[in-house]
Amino acid sequence: MTRIGCLLAMTEPARPTALLQVALAHSPRVEDAGAGRVYLDASGLQGLFGDEQRLAARLHQAAAAAALETRVGIAGSRIAALAAARLGAGATVVEPGGDAAHLAAAPLSLLGLSEDVAARLSRWGLRTLGELAALPTAGLFERLGGEGVRLQRLARGEDPRPLAFSRPVPLFEESVNCEWGMETLGPVVERMRELAVRVCASLSARGLAADAFEWVCRLDGGGVHEGALTPAVPMTDAAAVSGLLKLGLAARPPRGIVQSLTLRARPVRVTPAQESLTDRSRPSPRLLAATLNRLMALVGPDGIGVPALLDSHRPDAVALSAYHPHPTLLPRREREPEESSCELREPTLALRRLRPPAPAAVTLASGRPVALRSSRLAGRIVAGVGPWRSSGEWWSQHRWLQDEWDVELADGTLCRLAHDGSAWHLAGIYD
Amino acid sequence: MAIPIESLPPPGWDRKGIDGLLGLFPPGRLSEIVGPRSSGGSSLLLAFIARFTTSGSQGGGQVAYVDGMDALDPASAAAAGVDLSALLWVKCAGRLRAALGAADLLARCPGFPLVVLDLDELGPVPASAQIRLQRAVEGSDTILIVRSARHREGSGASLVVATRRLAPRWMGLRPLTRLAGLRSEASIARSRSHPLSPRGEGYTWTLDWTL
Repeated sequence: MTRIGCLLAMTEPARPTALLQVALAHSPRVEDAGAGRVYLDASGLQGLFGDEQRLAARLHQAAAAAALETRVGIAGSRIAALAAARLGAGATVVEPGGDAAHLAAAPLSLLGLSEDVAARLSRWGLRTLGELAALPTAGLFERLGGEGVRLQRLARGEDPRPLAFSRPVPLFEESVNCEWGMETLGPVVERMRELAVRVCASLSARGLAADAFEWVCRLDGGGVHEGALTPAVPMTDAAAVSGLLKLGLAARPPRGIVQSLTLRARPVRVTPAQESLTDRSRPSPRLLAATLNRLMALVGPDGIGVPALLDSHRPDAVALSAYHPHPTLLPRREREPEESSCELREPTLALRRLRPPAPAAVTLASGRPVALRSSRLAGRIVAGVGPWRSSGEWWSQHRWLQDEWDVELADGTLCRLAHDGSAWHLAGIYD
Repeated sequence: MAIPIESLPPPGWDRKGIDGLLGLFPPGRLSEIVGPRSSGGSSLLLAFIARFTTSGSQGGGQVAYVDGMDALDPASAAAAGVDLSALLWVKCAGRLRAALGAADLLARCPGFPLVVLDLDELGPVPASAQIRLQRAVEGSDTILIVRSARHREGSGASLVVATRRLAPRWMGLRPLTRLAGLRSEASIARSRSHPLSPRGEGYTWTLDWTL
């Protein structure tokens, strides 16, 4: 005998999944019907929670403990359970076999009718489910077709559709407690490796990968040490994740005795793509991620990335963005049109920037530079053009103004000088 | 280890035009572009990177640029035709050891068919590091190019391209109005995979760089 419970939220839940979590705590078979309504299979739960009155009361209490204002109904069908929840107060149980009688007084709006059908039933003078259930089925079929018969069966408490089970949102998180505490990095890394193996196995079992890992070390004395790593490509390789975690922990070790560890992964679904036989092989995600993390440890996180020109006339207006190899690893014909518009151009003279620009002492004659002395270059200026004035962002605190000169030194070096209104700098060398 | 010497120039050996020069850098080997300031060495390097990142025949062109002195000007690179989205820029802020370590890591990572180590005037490079870099790309398809001011003895480079400044090009009569470009010369100073002329002269290219 099927028994269905309905959890109906009377107010908007603070968390969308809160209602589902309450239901899942009582039954593994749960349907999220949306609009603050969750159905659960209440059959066979007597051994766990006692009779249905106790189950309903327990559901109501659990929801209240989760700061949810709800009503609970248990009946033989979804529609009857919904009616019990909506029309009752607190927790209501409809005895087995009593669904039709319980629904008889319920309004037609409980069926979620379309405007057209609701208008027709209203014209016929029907107001309650009991009145709909009492109509002759053949006549209802002639006027409303199969939809009319379905609605009448619902009105009689006959709901043949099984529950559409909602799978709980998987949580890829593993923890380990160490009562004795871990003072050195070695045991922490080893425990972290064990957690990584478990998390990666859990991800692989669901055909997922993770594009971010977060760890939390709870320290003796109540402190918390947190960290995160973002591999260049989503991965489930436990050895690679362990290696990256080791690098991350070594770069920023916990400052104290570690009492417990938690590793959390952010799952993503990676769509497999057909490789082209004519292209070079792609890098192993594990190797690429490990290389990028080692590079970050070597030069710092701000020292590595993909250069991007900023929309500004400010000299050397460049930003570094994170390196994600996927789009550029694609063969060029598969890239976006705007990305593939680069063409070979005529040979262009390159400027080598000095960062930061080197302070320089420049001798002027008739307003033109004739000699340069700086830590990088010094000499007589034999030719020069300028000034090329540029300025911008005068409306903000980051305003800038610069006069630039292209000059040739006596030894043939071509360089760019800049004057910001107060001092000269050697901005770059043409090469 | 025996170094293969071919008796005939390989297909695509073109003495005219920059494409012929750029086609000489051998995969799986260490190459060098050497030349003093304003000799066109960096321009030659960017031209090669531009060709690499925009040429489908090279396999989609991921390029790792290890910048020893943080001297790369992305605006110049974009003007030269480099697809910046295919460029991984590693800035080493003048730290030689970091630059060598980064180049070694990237040369061993199979995702980057072209790795550039721009040392400019950083140095001296320990001999062990040079050998390590050479070994890192051996047997792979990776092209490793070191850009420096001068050729480093014992570097083990298979190809050394030397650049030399000829003359700047200015626009306008006196007074000059604009720097138009630079004329430079590139020559093969050393090649272990391609034969040089019997008289020992390097193959030379005259290159006109525009600004």
